[in-house]
Amino acid sequence: MARVYNWQIGREMSYWYPGNRPQRQFAAVFDTNKCIACQTCTLACKTTWTSGKGQEYMLWNNVETKPYGSYPLAWDLNLLKDLNGGKWNGKTYEGQTIFESAAAGERVQSWRPKTEDYSYPNVGEDDCAGAVDYGMSMDLPHMNWFYYLARICNHCTYPACLASCPRGSIYKRQEDGIVLVDQSRCRGYQECVKGCPYKKVYFNPMTGTSEKCIACFPKIEQGIQPQCFVNCIGKIRMAGFINTPDKAQAENPIDYLVHLRKIALPLYPQFGLEPNVYYIPPVHVPPPFLRQMFGPGVDAAIAAYRNSANDPDLAGLLSLFGSSEMLMTKWKRQGETVTGSNDKGQPMVSIPMKEPVFIRPAYDKLYQITRTNCP
Amino acid sequence: MRIHSSMLAVPAILLSLGILNGCGRKAERTNEVVAASAARLPLDPLDPAWAEAPGHVEKLILQDLVEPRLMKASTPEILVEALTSGSEIAFRLSWPDEAVNDLPGAGRFLDQCAVQIPRAIEADAPAPQMGEAGRPVEISFWRADWQASVDGRKDNINALFPNAAIDHYPFEAKPLDPGSSDQKEMATRYAPSQAVGNRRVGPRETPVEDLLAEGPGTLSPAPARISRGMGVRTKEGWAVVIIRKLPEGLTPRRRSAVAFAVWQGSEQEAGARKMRSGWVPLALRAAK
Ligand code: SF4
Ligand code: SF4
Repeated sequence: MARVYNWQIGREMSYWYPGNRPQRQFAAVFDTNKCIACQTCTLACKTTWTSGKGQEYMLWNNVETKPYGSYPLAWDLNLLKDLNGGKWNGKTYEGQTIFESAAAGERVQSWRPKTEDYSYPNVGEDDCAGAVDYGMSMDLPHMNWFYYLARICNHCTYPACLASCPRGSIYKRQEDGIVLVDQSRCRGYQECVKGCPYKKVYFNPMTGTSEKCIACFPKIEQGIQPQCFVNCIGKIRMAGFINTPDKAQAENPIDYLVHLRKIALPLYPQFGLEPNVYYIPPVHVPPPFLRQMFGPGVDAAIAAYRNSANDPDLAGLLSLFGSSEMLMTKWKRQGETVTGSNDKGQPMVSIPMKEPVFIRPAYDKLYQITRTNCP
Repeated sequence: MRIHSSMLAVPAILLSLGILNGCGRKAERTNEVVAASAARLPLDPLDPAWAEAPGHVEKLILQDLVEPRLMKASTPEILVEALTSGSEIAFRLSWPDEAVNDLPGAGRFLDQCAVQIPRAIEADAPAPQMGEAGRPVEISFWRADWQASVDGRKDNINALFPNAAIDHYPFEAKPLDPGSSDQKEMATRYAPSQAVGNRRVGPRETPVEDLLAEGPGTLSPAPARISRGMGVRTKEGWAVVIIRKLPEGLTPRRRSAVAFAVWQGSEQEAGARKMRSGWVPLALRAAK
């Protein structure tokens, strides 16, 4: 095992291969507060990539209700149990990552889902963390909670899927850090399915190879965001590229949210993969639960997000989410207008931070009629 | 199901494999793999002609070079019988395996076996675990699901999951004529490994695949098909016949080497998680 630096856990760690960061790293921010679990993202992906034979059960994108939802069944719970907690000291993770706790003969610590574990894609859907009885729902704040966690492959900096393959059939593209299974090399050993802690590689029983989210790379190559981003009804997603914290750029929207404002956090950073989908945590969920899922930055992230109404830059950037299908790798706010631009600095979209509101009097004096506000 | 070594006194397995041989004759056992001459090489592992073949019992050991790997031994040993026609060589491999594992799927693994022979006969054979750079090994690889396909299993999801209900595949939609080139092209879009000629599961003409390797992780398809085979269930487990071209330079006066590997699906074995042998001398017995 080599030694590599993982900024998400604030320390060096062991990894199967020496560090080799790509020139650019595909990354995304998901705002969990805005997701309505409509599953449009899931379907956008399904119809685009996984409508084939043997792909019936595959959800490269899935949305699960936390705390009880999980696909495949108990994907996170099983590993959390095996990792036995794991301790943070401030921003430094002092427990073992899945690379460090690998048993003899293994490359990562992992568990293998059974076919049946994929049988309940919407288990726990809309289930609260506790019963809502006796008119409790009438009081605010609500005592009980749930939230939606949309998940795709994290195109990790230190992918466990890639590390697990004894044939080296998985590779990480230098140009954008997207992690792909080479379909001409894969022999279907399913080591990646076992190795990925997020369980985002799927074995295709009709072709005999493993398949996974490709971050819609043909779209990325053309400067367009992936299908699950552009079809998102809640406009919760923004795709882009992330730098390491020491090279963070304020004009890069992902860097700004993750590194500078620290309101978007990685999913289970303690696993050690440096995953590249970052979540704005749900503001209404008990922090201990969120700290386990998103690490020690949760409280500060929630405070900053709650304050975004008084924070024009943050509010401005958040309103760019879902405003264009194009990749916006740069952004700028000028007064009440926010602009997202491409790599060349060409504006892709400009939006007002507040939509103008017109209130029409119910009685139209000119025509002397009363109008309703139906369109 | 793995047979635990405590359950397997060596004489007991020899006896059972002798019965598996399916003959009244006392089975001939050799210290190396000896291929006896035969006018005809039987593809069927249950063909009585196999009674004439000398047998060699080889202990299997753990693949221990590459992670991820097995840490606990499973298949303890394998009986190898061999015959040669002068232009081809036939191996009959049999090993105990209580459970049939021939359904591909997530978390499902397949029963498999392989025969490995160095491409060139040299004074010292290449590394026994998949050969080494510049010194390739030829591998004939059999898999139980390919056997099921050859034996008539259908190529659809219901053959793997009988209760699966499918609403719709876009490439089977009305406007596309079934079997037309447009329809096939569209179906291929949703089967990426098939599109690049690497469909690992699905219809087969033969349950055996020819491969080359020059070290762990280098396994690749061989340029030509030189092997065929057939596997059947026996009372104890599997019996698989693999017939391949006689290795280059192998004559009754000149030996080569052969190695074997077995994967138990029920133990989630695949790839590097396998039981294997070291090199075993391979000799041809001159025709009487
Ligand atoms: S999320 Fe899983 S499949 Fe995706 S890169 Fe990371 S380890 Fe690989
Ligand atoms: S489309 Fe957007 S809002 Fe709907 S489930 Fe997916 S992530 Fe959530």
